[in-house]
Amino acid sequence: MQILVVDDDALAAEMIGAVLESEGYQPLLAESAIEGMEQLNANPDVGLVISDMNMPLINGIEFFRELREQGNQLPFILLTGDDPKQAQQQEAGLDACILKDFNLDTSLPGLVSEVLNKR
Amino acid sequence: MNSNKPTLQEKIARLRASFISQLPKRLEEAQHQLILLKADPCMNRVAAVELHRTFHSLKGTGYSFGFHELAGIAGDAEDYTQQLLDLPDERTPPQWPDRLIGLLQELASQAQILVYTDMRKDQPLETPFFEMNDSSSDKDSKPGACNRLVYICDDEIDQVTHLSYQLRCFGYQVEHFTETQEFDRAVMKKRPDAVVMDVRFPHGGTAGTDALANIQKVTGQQLPAIVLSGRDDFEARLSAVRAGCQSYFTKPARPLELATALDEVMEEEVFEPYRILIVDDEPEVAQYHSLILEEAGMLVHELSQPANLLATLQEFRPDLVLLDVYMPDCTGQELSALIRQFPEYLSLPIVYLSSETDRQKQFSAMQVGVEGFITKPVIPEELVAAVALRAERMRSLRALMVRDSLTGLYNHTTTTELIEGALAQAKRKQESLAMVMLDLDSFKEVNDNYGHVAGDQVLLALSRILRHRLRTNDIVGRYGGEEFAILLKDVTPQVAFELVDQLREDFSKIRFSSGQQEFYCTFSAGISSFPFYLRAEELRIAADKVLYRAKKEGRNQVKLDDGNE
Repeated sequence: MQILVVDDDALAAEMIGAVLESEGYQPLLAESAIEGMEQLNANPDVGLVISDMNMPLINGIEFFRELREQGNQLPFILLTGDDPKQAQQQEAGLDACILKDFNLDTSLPGLVSEVLNKR
Repeated sequence: MNSNKPTLQEKIARLRASFISQLPKRLEEAQHQLILLKADPCMNRVAAVELHRTFHSLKGTGYSFGFHELAGIAGDAEDYTQQLLDLPDERTPPQWPDRLIGLLQELASQAQILVYTDMRKDQPLETPFFEMNDSSSDKDSKPGACNRLVYICDDEIDQVTHLSYQLRCFGYQVEHFTETQEFDRAVMKKRPDAVVMDVRFPHGGTAGTDALANIQKVTGQQLPAIVLSGRDDFEARLSAVRAGCQSYFTKPARPLELATALDEVMEEEVFEPYRILIVDDEPEVAQYHSLILEEAGMLVHELSQPANLLATLQEFRPDLVLLDVYMPDCTGQELSALIRQFPEYLSLPIVYLSSETDRQKQFSAMQVGVEGFITKPVIPEELVAAVALRAERMRSLRALMVRDSLTGLYNHTTTTELIEGALAQAKRKQESLAMVMLDLDSFKEVNDNYGHVAGDQVLLALSRILRHRLRTNDIVGRYGGEEFAILLKDVTPQVAFELVDQLREDFSKIRFSSGQQEFYCTFSAGISSFPFYLRAEELRIAADKVLYRAKKEGRNQVKLDDGNE
């Protein structure tokens, strides 16, 4: 399955990509919400979106809302450097919200399959 | 599965490394944004927002890669910037630029630490080498330990930081520069003990060596320097020769070899005066000769009682003995024969001072192994020349005889002698001494598993650390294959214990490699002390006993003799 990863920090995006790849997913990387949107249009098979929260111009939650507004119902996981609960409160429609830390390689795969199974 | 594909862990490791190498650039950006913000705080809300984001992303990505300290500081900086953004302009605290600059500096020093500790992954692994993970030798060195200052000048920042880190492990104090102008200024301010210089810089193919040559011209003094260059051509090498550099290394140089070369260029600087013992029953005559030799820069000890000769030999450790032939208690011949009874003094030059002009009598005196004859009254220049020449030869000869050829430490025999000498001195001065017996753990396995070249590297690394981290007047010897004996002067047992234990911890962090394999090595040590034990042999046995206990209780530890053994 293809997963779109949006993070303005290219290294962070690659890190998440590496974790996903090791689980057998095909990550598509984008450095901004706009680039992410383009990727989604070009790759209709994407099954999940993972996005960073704090990005220039359009942040993660704005990106999520934009997608929903356009009728895109893909599962959406928000990554944040701050308290994930806050973001979850701010936008209840998020499928999951996870803290950026060094355990991503163990915590992220579980969360991805959990989110996918719920759908 | 394709086995050539990097695993997730390998990928993460690579990404972490990229993150670290990008840190300086990220911090530079933050600094730039801060400058903009400072220039016009009211108008530059955009800069503040960008700065906030830079800190935020440093925090997030920092946490993602497990760099918690760095991420923590970035988080503080982010929060502070957020506060600035939230406050109306007129309520902005006046000290805000200082606070942000402080945080940026904290980030920079964290970045520096990460650069040091993570660089090791960049080293090629074909040849055995070693490095330390964590540098506690960055901190101020032990009291009394000589910390020689080395300047590195190289425009490749990665090379420089890596090399500085390595050399710090060896006990040097290192400062580095990426521009020759900056280097020039630093040299004028404070002269280093040695320099490692690159040849090519952006502003000139031989700008590095030119800078060295120029410093020599301006100051009239030659800086002890080593060239480390990516260039290996005639012009570059010639420029190094013309700048007076003693050694030339091409990149990448192995830190151990570089450290050895540094030692060599620096050791030429220190010249220890020749030590001359004068035995003469007439103090006035002794004083006169002593004056002539001291004028010539030698260190002289006068002895008027031949009975004290042995103790004095042990303590003063002369390079040469000047003997009066006729003395009331015993003759010069008798004294020389007595000195030669000791194997350790077989090579000690003895020169007679005598008014004897009879060739035949001179000859018979020489037969007991005397190096020369100087007739009284002496001609000062002649005395100085005769003494200096022989003392010099003695030095070179002794250096060959007293040092272990692999590690450069004192060999077994010399170590034993020196310890006896130090003990005699400590008794007289009523000082305390600590004797350390130190043994590498499972060293045979190192040789078996990784080969003897790797084993030698371990021995070299340990001896280098011992030599650089202990004081110059401490005695460090290679006692046997993987056994070392150390005598620490004028320290309490507790201080000795802490010192050796710190060395043990640092040594255990050195990562050795052989081919693709990596391994660590540890040592155990036992410490005994004077005046708890009065004789050298007793000290050694007591230290050995506790060393044995350290081994038995699991190795990689230091045990102090508490008298209950």
